[in-house]
Amino acid sequence: MLLAVSLLLPAQGKAAPLDKLRLPNIDELYFLIIKDNDAQLLALQGGQIDLLGDIARFSDIKSLSDDERVNLYLAEGYHAFYLGLNLRKSPWDRTELRQSLWEIVNRKQIVRDVFGGYALPLFSFLPPASPYTLSASAADFDIKAAKERLKQKGWRWSKKGVLICPGEADPLPKMKLLTPTAQVAPTTAEIAERICESMRSLGIPIETEPMDFSMMVARLDRRDFDAYVMAWELSRDPDSLYAFYHSSMDVPGGYNISGIRKPDLDEALESLKYASNEAEARVAAEKVQRLLYKYIPQVPIYSRYHIAALRREWKGAVASLYMTPDNTYSLLSLKHDSKRTFYWCLSEEPRNLNPLSAASAYEWQVLSIIYESLLAVDPFTLKDIPWLAKSWRLDTVTKGGKEKTRITFHIREDVKWQDGSPFSASDVKATIEFLKKFAIPRYFDLVKDVERVEATGNTITVTFSGKSYWYLHQIGGLPILPARVLSSLKDWRNLPEGHIIGTGPFSFSAYKPGEYVKLDKNELYWRKNIP
Amino acid sequence: MNNYWLKRLLSSLLVIAVVLSLNFFLFRLMPGDPTSSLLDPRFSPEAKHELLKSYGLDKPLSQQFFIYVKQMLTFKFGISFMSQRPVWQELAERLPNTLLLLFPALLLSAVLGILLGVAAAKGRGGLVEKTVLLSGAISFSFPSFFVQLVLLLLLAHAFPIFPLRGSLSVPPPVGFWNLVTDKIWHMTLPVASLVLLGFGSWALYVRNLMVKALGEDFILLARAKGIRESRILWRHAFRTALPPIVTIFFLSLPGVISGAVITETVFSLHGIGKFLLDAVLGHDYPAAGAAFYLMSLVTVACNLLADVVYTFVDPRISFRRLR
Repeated sequence: MLLAVSLLLPAQGKAAPLDKLRLPNIDELYFLIIKDNDAQLLALQGGQIDLLGDIARFSDIKSLSDDERVNLYLAEGYHAFYLGLNLRKSPWDRTELRQSLWEIVNRKQIVRDVFGGYALPLFSFLPPASPYTLSASAADFDIKAAKERLKQKGWRWSKKGVLICPGEADPLPKMKLLTPTAQVAPTTAEIAERICESMRSLGIPIETEPMDFSMMVARLDRRDFDAYVMAWELSRDPDSLYAFYHSSMDVPGGYNISGIRKPDLDEALESLKYASNEAEARVAAEKVQRLLYKYIPQVPIYSRYHIAALRREWKGAVASLYMTPDNTYSLLSLKHDSKRTFYWCLSEEPRNLNPLSAASAYEWQVLSIIYESLLAVDPFTLKDIPWLAKSWRLDTVTKGGKEKTRITFHIREDVKWQDGSPFSASDVKATIEFLKKFAIPRYFDLVKDVERVEATGNTITVTFSGKSYWYLHQIGGLPILPARVLSSLKDWRNLPEGHIIGTGPFSFSAYKPGEYVKLDKNELYWRKNIP
Repeated sequence: MNNYWLKRLLSSLLVIAVVLSLNFFLFRLMPGDPTSSLLDPRFSPEAKHELLKSYGLDKPLSQQFFIYVKQMLTFKFGISFMSQRPVWQELAERLPNTLLLLFPALLLSAVLGILLGVAAAKGRGGLVEKTVLLSGAISFSFPSFFVQLVLLLLLAHAFPIFPLRGSLSVPPPVGFWNLVTDKIWHMTLPVASLVLLGFGSWALYVRNLMVKALGEDFILLARAKGIRESRILWRHAFRTALPPIVTIFFLSLPGVISGAVITETVFSLHGIGKFLLDAVLGHDYPAAGAAFYLMSLVTVACNLLADVVYTFVDPRISFRRLR
C-alpha cells in the first residue's frame, strides 16, 4: 500500500514555472457549495465540478485513484496528530516513561490499517512539510527497548503486569485517554483505542474516554486529564513550538496543554521566537526540537496527506510535494481546450466574505484569490517570494537600548485594485494601522508588536517594539485592503459586498448563499505587465 | 376573551419566558465558549480574549442577559459569532429552502400516510394491509442518509434526471418562471426522499387508529342502519380518529422550521438545520438563541392552533362548555 502512495507522490502536472504566470485562462470561477462527501465525489466524476480538495476518506482516495477522468494529487501537509500527556501528574512527569511511549506506538501499523497507507507515520514535533522540521533518528516500534529502559530506571511490573513507579509500592492507577466519540471522529477514536492497547502492552492501565469534542476541549482547558489525542493543522513556520511548549503558554486558553516547564527549553524557544534572521531561526528551531526529543512532552503519531483531485482535461496545474493544485498559482496557469469556466468545490458555506473577520478555511479558499499579500510562498521550495512587494529588507535597529526589527518593503508600481484605482504603499500602511487600531482578533497577534508604519513613495517601513524574524511572515502574509475602503467602514465586522476589492487574479462577482460564489477574471491583474 | 383562552395565553407566555431563560443559561453552562473551537496555536490567549470582547462576552452575565432578552423581544437577534453577520439575515436566507423542503414533505407524507392507513384499516387482513404494513415499516426503519444517498446515486448520477446538489442551477436560469421551474426541479428529489421516509409512520399510526375506530359499537350501529361503507369509513370512523391526527400534524409543524440536517447536507441545501447544528456546536449564542426562540414561538402557536382546530373536527369539544 505504501508503494501506491509513492506512485502518487510526484506531482503529476508538470508545473508551470511561477515567473511565467500571467493572466488566468479562466474567465469565470465558480465555487460550488457541496457539503456531502459522497455528493462531492459524484459531482467530480460527473463533471459538475473540476477540482475537489481536502479528500480525506480512504475509500474516496481509492476510488479516485482508479478513475481515469481525474488526476489525483497528494502533498505532505501541515497536519499533525499527537498523543498528549499531562506532565503535571504522575506518572507522566517521568521522562523515561514518555521516552518509552515513543517506542511502543506502532505508527506504521496504524497508518497501514487505518488509512490504507495514505498518511505519514510522524516522528517529529513539526509537520513533515515544514522546512524547519527535524525528524527523529530514534527507532520506531520497539517494545523490548521501551521495557528495558524502564527496567534500568527502576520500574517494576506487578503480578498482573501493571507498571510500578520506582520507589512506590502500588501499581499505576487506572487512567483515561480522552478522545472524541467514534460518531464524530471515527478514525481518531480508532487510533485512540490502538494507542491504549499499545500502552497497556507496556503495563500502563489506560482506557479511552470518548466524549463530545467541546467537552474534551473544556477538560483540556481545565487541565483535567491524564492523556488525550488531538489533530492539529499547523503551518510552515515553527510557531506552534512556542505555543505548545513554552511555560508562559501554560495558562487558561494557552496551548501548552501538556504543562511542560523546562528552563532550557524555554530559553531555546525564546531564541526561536526572537531570532533576528532566518539562519538564527533555523539553529534555534533545531535546538528546540532536539530538546523536545529528549523531553517528549507529547508523542507524534501521524500526519495526513493533503489530497486533491482535478479533472484530467484541465492542464497546467501547479502542484508540488508540499502543495496540491487547489492554489492560486494553479488558477493562473490552468488551461482547457474549450472551457473557460472553472468549477471548484467548496465543502462548507463561506458565511463571511469579509477578510477582516473571516475565520474558516472555506472562507479563505475564496478570499485568498481576491486578496493578496506582500509576500507569497514558493510551492516548490516553501521559501518567501516577492508578490505585491518586489523586494524587502529585514534590519535590527537599536533604539533606547532595545533591539527592534525594522522591515522595509518595496512595493510594486504596476498593481491596480480590481476597481481600477492604483495600489500604493499607503494602502499597506492603512491596512496595518487599521488592524492594529481596532485590535481585530484574527490579526491581533500579527500586528500587536507593530510600533510604527511609514509609507514613502513605494516604500513601506514597519518598525516593531521587539526583535523577531517572524515579523516578516506576519506582515508579509497580511491580506492588503484598499485604504479608502477601510476609511469608509463604520464597523469592521460589516464589509458590504461592493467593498470586496482586492488585487488578486479574480474579483468578486456574486454570492448566492447555499449555492455558489462566483468570481470573474481580473483583467487588470498586475502579472500581465511582467515583461 | 373567555377564561380558557386567557389561561392558555398566560401559560404560553410562561413557556416562552422559561424557554427564553433556558436558552440563555443552558448555552452558557455548556462546556467551553465560542473560542473553544479555535484550536489554532497561532491564536494566543490575548487574541482569544479580544475575540470574546468583540462578542460582548466580557460583560457581566446580568448585563448580557438583559441585552439578550431585549434582542429576542424586539426580534433584533444581534450578530452571529461565527459569521459576523446579522442573525436575522442568516435565518431569512435559509428559511425559504427549509420551508420548501419540509412543508411539502410533511404535507405529502401526511396525506399519503393517512390515505394508506385508512386503506389498510379498511382492507384488514388483506393484501392492501400487508403491503401498507410492510412498506410503512420499511419507510420508517431505513436511515435517511442511506435512502437519500441511494436516490442521489440512482436519479442524479447513474440516470441524471434530477440535479446532484443545491436548490438552484449554476449559473441560475433567467426569468421568473424558469427560476420557479428550476427550484421545483431541484426540490423534487429531497422532498420525495423525505416523503418516502416519512409516510410510513403516518400510515401505521392512522391504520391503528382506524382499526380501533372501526371496531367500535357506533360503527356496528351505522352498518346496521345500512349507511354506505365509504360514508362509515370517512364520516364516522375517520372523524373520530381525526383529533390525534390533528395533534400529531400540528406538533410536527414546528419541525418544518427547525430543518433537517442530514437531508440538507446530502442535497447541499442551504437550510436552518445545519445552521442550528453549527450554532450549537460552535457556541454561537445569538444564532442558537434566536433559532430556538423562534422554534418555541412556532411550537406555542401551533399548540394554540391545534386547540382551535379541535373544535372544528370534534363536535364534543367546545370551549364554551369549559367556561
